[in-house]
Amino acid sequence: MATQQIQLRRKITTGSLLISLVIVAAVMLYPFWYIIDNAFRSSTQYDRQSGHSLGGWRQLFANLPVGGQLLNSTVVCVAAIAIILIVSTTAGFAFAKLRYRGSGLIFLLVVSALMVPLQSILFPEFVNLSNVHLTSSYAGAVLVYAALGTPFATFLMATYYRGISDELIEAAVMDGLGYERTFLQIAIPLSLPAIATITVLQFIQIWDDLLVGLFFLPTNQRTITAGLATLSTGRTTSVPALMAGSLISAIPAIIVYLIFQRHLVKGLTLGMGK
Amino acid sequence: MSLAEAQADPIVRPAARRRGRKAQPARSRLARRRRRAGILLSLPALALVIGLLGVPVGQAVYYSMTQWNGITATWIGPSTYTALVKDPIFWRVVQNNALLLLAVPIAIGIPLVIAALLNEHVRGWRFFRSVYFLPTAISWVVIGMFALRFFSASGVLNGLLAHLGFGASATDMLASEHSALAALAITFIWSMVGTNTIIFLTGMATLDPTLTEAARVDGLSRMGIFFRVTLPLLTRFIQFSFVITVISAFSALFSLIFVMTGGGPGFGTTTLEFFIYQAGFQQVQLGVAALYGVVLFVIMAIVGLVQLRLIKPDDGGGW
Repeated sequence: MATQQIQLRRKITTGSLLISLVIVAAVMLYPFWYIIDNAFRSSTQYDRQSGHSLGGWRQLFANLPVGGQLLNSTVVCVAAIAIILIVSTTAGFAFAKLRYRGSGLIFLLVVSALMVPLQSILFPEFVNLSNVHLTSSYAGAVLVYAALGTPFATFLMATYYRGISDELIEAAVMDGLGYERTFLQIAIPLSLPAIATITVLQFIQIWDDLLVGLFFLPTNQRTITAGLATLSTGRTTSVPALMAGSLISAIPAIIVYLIFQRHLVKGLTLGMGK
Repeated sequence: MSLAEAQADPIVRPAARRRGRKAQPARSRLARRRRRAGILLSLPALALVIGLLGVPVGQAVYYSMTQWNGITATWIGPSTYTALVKDPIFWRVVQNNALLLLAVPIAIGIPLVIAALLNEHVRGWRFFRSVYFLPTAISWVVIGMFALRFFSASGVLNGLLAHLGFGASATDMLASEHSALAALAITFIWSMVGTNTIIFLTGMATLDPTLTEAARVDGLSRMGIFFRVTLPLLTRFIQFSFVITVISAFSALFSLIFVMTGGGPGFGTTTLEFFIYQAGFQQVQLGVAALYGVVLFVIMAIVGLVQLRLIKPDDGGGW
């Protein structure tokens, strides 16, 4: 009798837990459903909230150079991430394994740049970069993204390289590899998980960013996120077109998220373990 | 990071054990090469950060005391700061930031409950975890695009209310100042669910299960265990998510405001970060923009110092 009661109570608990989880899931997924549902409508179908068509997509492609902007986003992401990876792996290795007098202070300096919000320096940055003619191409935005991503990436790499034993590095150097080749042939291959984390984290951050894309890129080289945001302030664009644009801009980041979810979580909670 | 902690940190303080070794010619040559390699490898990151973040901060401080249109700057002096404190617009904008802070406990509390639910590990909990974290992957521009339709007069929210028999209370939340800020805050809370849930879930995974087991044997209820055992042990994770949430509220809502309200109605949703954009871009008062930028930077620096105390570089064993 008593065990039956306990079993019943356990079933009720599990049941109500599941129901709560489903309700939360519905709240988290509803916007996605709304976007998908309304992307496949025309303006009149949207007003009536019935029927589906490709009207929204047609209007989107007529108003926004979607293909070109997706390409712009890709170019900017790849270039910025390349710079971030180069400077953060080298600096992280130096701060962890090739310490020199003052390296600790420089490490603190680089990492504390984490606190600088771009908004605070928006106009000085813009004037500086346009003075050297870097805002008329991808270069300005790429550099700004790279600078914004470097502090955390360097922190992450330094932390990771500290986990590699000093003896391994010294032995490789003694074997005649030299510091440069030890870095390239020993340290880099060992740190691929951290590199993957930085790549995924930065990809999503840069792909989804509006501020830099809006300010530091010429109008004809806007990223898809910046293009979409300016299209939405136009007020003349129909909702289905904006939903279609939202959908297509979100898909690459969602795919990356689904494949590399673990790395993303790792990067987010790093330093919090134990 | 406190000074004592910083000095104890192996990255900050070079290992002392290398000193005191007998100076052998080969060793010292190697040490010289090692130092050169270290400096050379850390230089690009330093240059990038100084050139594109450090120098502009200095410039912002300078320009905050000038009248600046991007080409010519007229020096005014520190009096811009005293004028700022007397400016009602400044306090109206700061008020919005302060009101957004009210959303922070909710943006932490809801994910705490969700994490506790997930931590019961019912079948399929990993699937739910992925679903909850999914919004983290999409742009605030896209989220704002949806939220705009959700809160508008003919939007989803009012449709839902009408369906439940509250049709009379149908309002356009984005049309009046305070409800627009509330709509922004709700969207913000929704967006933070994924990040904060993952932080708390990570925290709960570090807890020793024998502790909750012991509490259960002692006759504590589920609620009792959550409040008296789990929560106190999660303090560090709650602090961490507090910092992340405040930083997001003050410096990551630009896209959301840009898409949803454009800062309005009136100054209804103009936060510090958005006012910087308006002052500089729409009014071409770049000196004023720099002034607000310095204020925002100081706030972020204070929050950031708290954060540095919280993230301790560990030995990398967590991988």
